[in-house]
Amino acid sequence: MSVASGTKPSGADGGPVLEARGVRKVFRTFERVPGLRGILKNFVAREHVDIAALDGVDLRVERGESVGLIGANGAGKTTLVKILAGIVPASSGEARLLGRDSFDLRDAEKRRLALVMGQKSQLWWDLPPIDSFRLLKEIYGVSDADFAERLARFASMLEVEDRLKIQLRQLSLGQRMKMEIIGAFLHSPEVVFLDEPTIGLDLISRETIRRFLVGLSEQRAVTFVLTSHDLEDIEETCRRIVVLDQGAVAFDGGLTDLSQRVTGKRAVEVHVHPNARVDEEALVAELSRHGAELAGRSAGSLTVIVSAERLAELVPRLFAMLDVKDLSVERQPLERLIREIYRRGIDAAGGGEG
Amino acid sequence: MAYEFRKRIQFRAGFFVREVLNGTVEPLVMLFVYTALYGSAAAAAGEGVGTEPVSLGGWTYPEIIQYVAGLVVVRKLIFHSRALDLATEIFEGRVTKYLVMPFRFFVLHQGRFLQFTLLQLAVAALVWCIGYAAAPAYWLVPVSVAATLQAGVLVLMGSYCCFLIFFILNALAFWLDVVWSLLVMAWFVIGFSGGALVPVSQMPAAFYGVLSLGFPYWMITAPIELLMGRLGTGDFLLGAGLVAGQLVALDLLRRWVWRRGLARYVGAGM
Ligand SMILES: Nc1ncnc2c1ncn2[C@@H]1O[C@H](COP(=O)(O)OP(=O)(O)OP(=O)(O)O)[C@@H](O)[C@H]1O
Ligand SMILES: [Mg+2]
Repeated sequence: MSVASGTKPSGADGGPVLEARGVRKVFRTFERVPGLRGILKNFVAREHVDIAALDGVDLRVERGESVGLIGANGAGKTTLVKILAGIVPASSGEARLLGRDSFDLRDAEKRRLALVMGQKSQLWWDLPPIDSFRLLKEIYGVSDADFAERLARFASMLEVEDRLKIQLRQLSLGQRMKMEIIGAFLHSPEVVFLDEPTIGLDLISRETIRRFLVGLSEQRAVTFVLTSHDLEDIEETCRRIVVLDQGAVAFDGGLTDLSQRVTGKRAVEVHVHPNARVDEEALVAELSRHGAELAGRSAGSLTVIVSAERLAELVPRLFAMLDVKDLSVERQPLERLIREIYRRGIDAAGGGEG
Repeated sequence: MAYEFRKRIQFRAGFFVREVLNGTVEPLVMLFVYTALYGSAAAAAGEGVGTEPVSLGGWTYPEIIQYVAGLVVVRKLIFHSRALDLATEIFEGRVTKYLVMPFRFFVLHQGRFLQFTLLQLAVAALVWCIGYAAAPAYWLVPVSVAATLQAGVLVLMGSYCCFLIFFILNALAFWLDVVWSLLVMAWFVIGFSGGALVPVSQMPAAFYGVLSLGFPYWMITAPIELLMGRLGTGDFLLGAGLVAGQLVALDLLRRWVWRRGLARYVGAGM
């Protein structure tokens, strides 16, 4: 809009597209006691357990940003998506979408929103995708021309033109996921949440989906929030990374910061004889001389993290110092990286904010 | 191809047979019970001499038969809980997709109600025709077109109240695990207090006094009595007013329960 919007803090245009302030979410679950006594007990006084899924999340996403949300299983990614998209309310704190309280969205905001869930179908299970798409067209009030053009374009981009008339339940996982994505973009949304859209898909399908997302975000200023356990998904589609750890933001910064750490570091797994003696003190001293560190140790193996450039000088030293049975080098796995970020969370998060 | 076609025809035919036969067992049982009852009452009254027909609670035997016939038709029109699967949708988190769409979720279910009603109007008409063809002497023939329309309005308003109640009970799935038993109980209570077993106006006066205030009475007993000419336009107006009030109250309750329920939704399975 051409109206000066800088002065409108909570206005839909100009303000952040997504905003979370001190969002907490506690799930209360009831424990079921088995047996007849259990039934009575459940009836009288159910025992509950509170699970804090989110513990004070702050996040601000501007128009056109593509945010990759990563974190271990149970870190709270899906919960954050649910809260921002207005599916569940936050226990406390404030979540806003397009300037409006997420849990109180009107049709005007919902029209600009889309949700893709890897685990849950947004389309109708018993209908062929084409019928679901027609329903969505009516619900979102998409014009005939736009509908036909988008459907044809998306279907060819995702290579599923020949599957549109087959019942959704009869499609393969990857084909279904592509249909879900088409359905989500038919109404040309401005904010899109994708929760593990590539889960269980093969390499080629993943590639296709990534290309599709990148293509769309380049054409229009779509705001994405994408969660995935596949770091490549995130690397290729998102410029900003948010790491959740146990319900809190452990890292929030540019992809370049993070990918340097990932691509720049190697995890060296050294297998030794289980009962061989290892002088750990000397080893740690030697490692630090090469800028490396001992990241894990078990009876038969050691894990060493080192920067890629210094790998060549370190490996011979390892052979010299240890009775090496086998040795493998990998890119630093995501899990370990996240843990590392979490340990140094404060400075990493502080440095990431532009 | 032919196989597919035959399957489909069988399915359609099966559907209609099921729909037509559905709810005919109870009326048959009622018929047997009433026949025995009136038979023994007549025997006690005058050893077959009496020219006056025996009346129990204001109903003669031929009237009761007409009532049972009316019941068979009216019940076809009443919304039943099997037509909603909202509770499982809530449990399994299938509601999620609708929550991000720009339309009111309830409208979808109103659509189901409408669809149900249109289909069942056809089924009810069919059942009436079959009954009339089979036993024209005993079958219930409406006294007038106006009475038929009035009865229809009351049945459909009541059916909408049932729909609201089932919607509310389904929405309790936000809190409870087992909603199914509640639905069965609710259906039994509504059926009994509406006259699905005994006409409400045949019940003891105290029962009648209370039950005649509720929408179930105006959904089952009263419309049949309108069709028989036992009630008139004045009764219709009174009933329509009462039911309209209850409908509005139920709808407010529905909104409230739904809002409270959503606040507890967890979007399972995501
Ligand atoms: N409906 C629920 N009832 C109780 N606890 C829940 C519920 N939903 C989520 N949780 C808990 O909240 C925490 C965060 O869950 P969430 O689904 O957000 O994790 P996630 O980061 O998406 O994990 P994943 O990578 O496995 O998808 C978990 O500990 C989970 O057990
Ligand atoms: Mg998740």
